[in-house]
Amino acid sequence: MTQVPTQTIAKSGFPELGPPGLLDTMRSEWTKLKTLRSTLVTLAIAAVLVIGLSALLSLVIAANQSSETKHGSHPTALSGFQGGWGIGGLAFMVLGVLAISNEYSSGLIGVSLLATPKRARLLIAKVLVFSVSMFVVAEVMSFIDFFICHAIISAYPSFPNVSLTTHLVLRVVIGMGIFVTLVGLLGLGTGALLRNTAGSIVACVAFIFVLPGILSALPDSWSNPIGEYWPTAAGERLTELAHGPNTLSAWWGAAEFTLFIAVLLLLAGYALSKRNA
Amino acid sequence: MIQVRNLTKHFGPNIAVDNLSFEVQAGRVTGFLGPNGAGKTTTLRMILGLIRPEKGTATVDGVTYQGLRAPMREVGAVLDAKAYQPGRKARDHLLALAQASRIPVKRVDEVLGFVGLSDVANRRAGNFSLGMAQRLGIAGALLGDPPVLIFDEPVNGLDPEGIVWIRTLMQGLAAQGRTVFVSSHLMSEMALTASHVIVIGRGHMIADSEVEDLIKRNSGIVVRLRTPKAEVVVPRLVAAGGKIQTGGNGEDDGAIVVTGLEAAAIGDIAFQAGVPVHELSPVEASLEDVFMELTRDDVEFHGTAAGAVQ
Repeated sequence: MTQVPTQTIAKSGFPELGPPGLLDTMRSEWTKLKTLRSTLVTLAIAAVLVIGLSALLSLVIAANQSSETKHGSHPTALSGFQGGWGIGGLAFMVLGVLAISNEYSSGLIGVSLLATPKRARLLIAKVLVFSVSMFVVAEVMSFIDFFICHAIISAYPSFPNVSLTTHLVLRVVIGMGIFVTLVGLLGLGTGALLRNTAGSIVACVAFIFVLPGILSALPDSWSNPIGEYWPTAAGERLTELAHGPNTLSAWWGAAEFTLFIAVLLLLAGYALSKRNA
Repeated sequence: MIQVRNLTKHFGPNIAVDNLSFEVQAGRVTGFLGPNGAGKTTTLRMILGLIRPEKGTATVDGVTYQGLRAPMREVGAVLDAKAYQPGRKARDHLLALAQASRIPVKRVDEVLGFVGLSDVANRRAGNFSLGMAQRLGIAGALLGDPPVLIFDEPVNGLDPEGIVWIRTLMQGLAAQGRTVFVSSHLMSEMALTASHVIVIGRGHMIADSEVEDLIKRNSGIVVRLRTPKAEVVVPRLVAAGGKIQTGGNGEDDGAIVVTGLEAAAIGDIAFQAGVPVHELSPVEASLEDVFMELTRDDVEFHGTAAGAVQ
């Protein structure tokens, strides 16, 4: 060792402040989420598409007064509402994927892990901030959408009058927000596992739409139970008014989907903590 | 102080870091040198807890990175200047980092001012030039006012003004008693910036030394000799134990580069042979020369032209 000027050895910065914890990481994740223009743009587009499509469907249904749905039940304000949300689920899934895959594609993940080397904490903070904020946005969207559909349909007295106080309708409207938030978490978990935007989106689309379709080619004795208990299908029960005699109840379906996502996120957390970044 | 002990890491069958041990002291700039692919970045990422070592440990003041209580207030690092999301404003990027580390928000504007980015703080970082990106990265590293700083190739792609700025900055940080560890494959740059260097090649230690000592110890004796009668004197020099590096034919000016003999001995041999000497001068090796010499066997990819000269 040669001439190290020992008279000044610098000390840690801001020693008067305590060590950061989960709340600090959450505050940081909230800043990240709300300061990315792509998040806000995607949400705005999703809102316009969902509400626009729901309103359009409601108008078509209303203009076609005599029609019945193929199940024989009368269309209601919920028909247009539900129809518009297919695209909404996709948007929340993409947002979930981007919430983490974007960090990998930009290289920000390395910096995030320097700030928060406890990787489980980083993922937990991300999941909490994402789910709470997306839940709030989705519920607001869902209620606005329902009121618009309701206003359109209730102008036609020949339709059954469905309002929030009608049996199970409130559950469907709230359930829609819960369901798309869970779909967003499906995207987030997949993004954390695959670390790649395009791959994660393809995987999620395959999981939600393609695989159940392929499975339906199996004999009924196989495809019926698989189709019924397929996680996203089970979760979707929350967004439906009635269900057949054999299907899962709404809340049990939601519980199954939630459990599935919890396992996915645990896997993602394990992978994150084991892998090199 | 950064301590690395027996650090080892393979990627597949290739060894990236091979049983590396060293210490980086506070109060000076330590250069971390090696050819491309020598394992510098892998070593830095292991110190920072981003890559898990197979064997060995890397600690900062005795604690692994993951064990630090407030990491960004203990260690500031810039690994990749462009490691930010392009759609986010520079200030928001730093704000998120500050919040994650429980650093006061006003510190964000302080470091932005310090690196000269105050005017573009509210611009999207995606539009930044490489020089501005480097400054933003450095602002992030300085956020927590940490006593240890690690920079990976900080002058890559910078204009001369930016290079001087970073050099001055690093020396200033070291003068404040901080540990400053800077990787580079540019010897000439480190010769101007660092007082101590650690040289690695193919993952293993080549040298860990003061810059001056390294040059003194490794430059050997190199003498330039110019004579119209090279064919007479060269065999005598070889017989006396000298090595002829340029063979007396490749150089435009006809100079012969001799190693292994002092200038005085060469002069005596030429005098005894009755050969006129037009030039006889000891050559001072630069850090660049020393580096090339030290890492010759350890560069991953040799150019064919470079091979032909030897």
